[in-house]
Amino acid sequence: MSLKLENISVDNENEVILKDISYEFQPGKIYVLIGRTRSGKTSMMRLVSGLLASDEGSILFRDKDFDGVPIWDRNISMVYQQFINYPNRTVLQNVEFPLLRAGISKADAKARALAMIEKVGLTSFLDRKPGQLSGGQQQRVAIARALVRNADIVLLDEPLMNLDFKLREQLREEFRELFTSAKEAVTIYATTEPAEALILGDELLVLHEGRIIQFGKPADVYENPANVDVARIINDPPMTILNAKIQDGQIIVGGNIKFKSPKHLGDQSNGDYQIGVRANEIVMNGKGDLELEGTITLVEVSGSETLIYADTNAGEVIIQQEGIHNLEIGQKVLAAIDPKRIFLFDGSGSLSSAPGN
Amino acid sequence: MKKIAKYSFIVLWSLFVLAPLSWALTTSFKPPAAVNNGVTFIPWLQFQPTLNGWKDILGISGYANLIPNMINSIIITFFATLISVVFGGAAAYGLSRFQYGWKKYKNPDIIFFFISQRIMPPAVLAIPFFLLLKSLKLLDTHIGLILVLTSGLMPIVVWLMVDYFNQIPKEIDELAMLEGCNPLQAFSRTILPLSKPGITVASLFSVIFGWNDLFFALVLTFTNVKTLPAAVVALNGTITPFWTLSASAIFAILPLIGLAFVAERFLSKGSLTGANR
Amino acid sequence: MANWNVSNSGLDFIGGANWVEMFQDGDFWSSLTRLLQLSFFTTFIQYVLGFACALFAWRGIAARKFFRVLWLIPMMTTPSVMAIVWRSIFREDIGAANGILNSLGIATVSWSTSVGAAKFTILLAEIWQWTPFMFLLLLAGLLSLPKEPFLAAEIDGASPWRTFWRITFPLMAPISIGAIIIRLIEASKIFDSVFALTGGGPGNATETPAYYLRTVSLTEFQISYGATLGLTYLVVAIIALTIISKVLAWLARSKGI
Repeated sequence: MSLKLENISVDNENEVILKDISYEFQPGKIYVLIGRTRSGKTSMMRLVSGLLASDEGSILFRDKDFDGVPIWDRNISMVYQQFINYPNRTVLQNVEFPLLRAGISKADAKARALAMIEKVGLTSFLDRKPGQLSGGQQQRVAIARALVRNADIVLLDEPLMNLDFKLREQLREEFRELFTSAKEAVTIYATTEPAEALILGDELLVLHEGRIIQFGKPADVYENPANVDVARIINDPPMTILNAKIQDGQIIVGGNIKFKSPKHLGDQSNGDYQIGVRANEIVMNGKGDLELEGTITLVEVSGSETLIYADTNAGEVIIQQEGIHNLEIGQKVLAAIDPKRIFLFDGSGSLSSAPGN
Repeated sequence: MKKIAKYSFIVLWSLFVLAPLSWALTTSFKPPAAVNNGVTFIPWLQFQPTLNGWKDILGISGYANLIPNMINSIIITFFATLISVVFGGAAAYGLSRFQYGWKKYKNPDIIFFFISQRIMPPAVLAIPFFLLLKSLKLLDTHIGLILVLTSGLMPIVVWLMVDYFNQIPKEIDELAMLEGCNPLQAFSRTILPLSKPGITVASLFSVIFGWNDLFFALVLTFTNVKTLPAAVVALNGTITPFWTLSASAIFAILPLIGLAFVAERFLSKGSLTGANR
Repeated sequence: MANWNVSNSGLDFIGGANWVEMFQDGDFWSSLTRLLQLSFFTTFIQYVLGFACALFAWRGIAARKFFRVLWLIPMMTTPSVMAIVWRSIFREDIGAANGILNSLGIATVSWSTSVGAAKFTILLAEIWQWTPFMFLLLLAGLLSLPKEPFLAAEIDGASPWRTFWRITFPLMAPISIGAIIIRLIEASKIFDSVFALTGGGPGNATETPAYYLRTVSLTEFQISYGATLGLTYLVVAIIALTIISKVLAWLARSKGI
């Protein structure tokens, strides 16, 4: 019952879209694909659905070659990022459509459609056309239509990206509930937001430049990013990554700022490294074993927190500070870092040590 | 001051638009004296309207009968439009959804190639088509003219409809396919209903250009099949009294005037944006 | 390249004789020049008038729908049939044109025997017939324009004239170019009005290449010569139109549109 990708590669003239992708998806789980834009998430989904052809490798579903199966026989549902619905059909007709195509009787189709529409909370909009609905409602129609079929594979390509913040939070909650009904299906959800990945995913796949660079349980990936790229992708706000040297038990950043290498890093040989610190672990104008002086380059107030970007001698530092602070670009600020919270990446960028919980 | 200029333009232009039509209309009802003894304009005031002109062209007085010609025009325009829209629409859909190419000539070049067919002056094609139809024994037949007109109308249809199809997101096709439709079903069940405005506009232009064609009608049809415009022009060639001529003119253009309403309706719906480049 | 007499269908290869004849054929070349003047002039006027109509029918006046339908009508009429109507208007003796002029105290104009007047009648017929075509395309374009720039201009207190030159006109540039090119393409084939209105006259003062071609091929039965003319006509049209569209596009780009 699994979906297996083996050594899939897709390239487009000079551009590598997907490189050497191999993974096995099991039914009943929600897999989250996370990565930057153009990292290959959409391509991977289009590959599974049959809308994109692979140049190398094979796709197997239930141990049978998927390549020979035309799109319309694959029993796959897809939710797009741009709320795609049939504009000339009402909400009810939209959700009934896939069932009628599958040969289900009109009465049954209507019943199932109505049930699903109720589940997404759109019962009062049955006779409206998508053009008369708000963005959130349109996307719910798309989701209802995707789930009503009990398809074998459900693909969602950044479905919440075009919705406002509040709606995103609300729908995220609803998703977990909705997807319990897709027990037999392989659900693949693509996003750029770590928060969504952590909330929704049973398994996480991190995509970067067309490759899978890490996979595992979301919490594991979050605590132990395999390398610097993953650390950048999985953290929002971004993780501060600084170039560092280790010399005789001391870490040197910014050329001349030294501090003692913390215990959790263990014994490390001398050489070039990179250290990473989460934004919410850096304190503004606080005290710490590592203190960096910097000049503010950007301030973003978001919700009840302030994001501060500052240029220091050691590199760019990103601080997430509680509360709303009135700061100006050019102001001087002190970034205090507790070495016990440092991630260490070796010269090639792979994780050497993580601070743990 | 500006308002006066604006309104006088509107009034003058409207009068200009109506002038020839009202002249033809009133003239068609004039008795001989009203025409030959000086110029008259206003019915009932300057002359007594009669139905002579109209009787002449409708076969009642035995002078001429334009009704068969009208029927011919209707048949020919209808089929030419039908074929152009069906095949042109299919071509446009293909050009919108798929990538064709031969060496470095891709879709935009193909579309340009289509529209460039309109540059071809009918005059240049007169002889080739004449000889072609002659050898196919299709001269002076409905089918012959339908085929020739279709070749001129299809480019317009393709050009208009590619734009329309491009405005329908490709994702809808994909969605239909994912939900169990093969490409043909995806097209007929989802895209086609959505492209009604495009089809209407394309048909509108096809009907106008097809009905109004004079050149090919003159060259390729003679006695058995004569379209309405050709018949009216033929009347012009012989010495036909004014009132009859005017009646024939009004008769010939009446059917299409209704289309002005159709065109306006689509302007209001904003669906003609596809015709812009 | 061959001489082909319709009556006896044999093919005699006469080499370049047709082409030589063409180069010496003053009538053909003057018909091309005439076409150039005619199409440019009418297209320009149709563009200006059509744009004015489009602007007014866009939002400017009450009873918009009525005027839109009214102003679209000429386009829906059959050009060749309308040409006959125009002819009846411009008849020297019993036509409306002279009738009106007379009652205004102006001398009668000999519409069909004076070259200038004959050209005028063709111009008038063409303008009447095709300005609505421009009107339609331009109005559709105007209707598809975004509202924001205009709202901003209103807030800034720009006069209607200024709004037009700085906002409307530049925004309509691509559509204008498209409409002009399409109209030029169709104008290069003018036949119907010449055929029914002036018969190419007086003499051949209003002959267009299309008309001349027909005369040569079908009334004089010089089919192969007609083919030569046709080919040249086509090539000239293609070259001219390509140049014009490139020039227009370049103009638009250099103005930063």
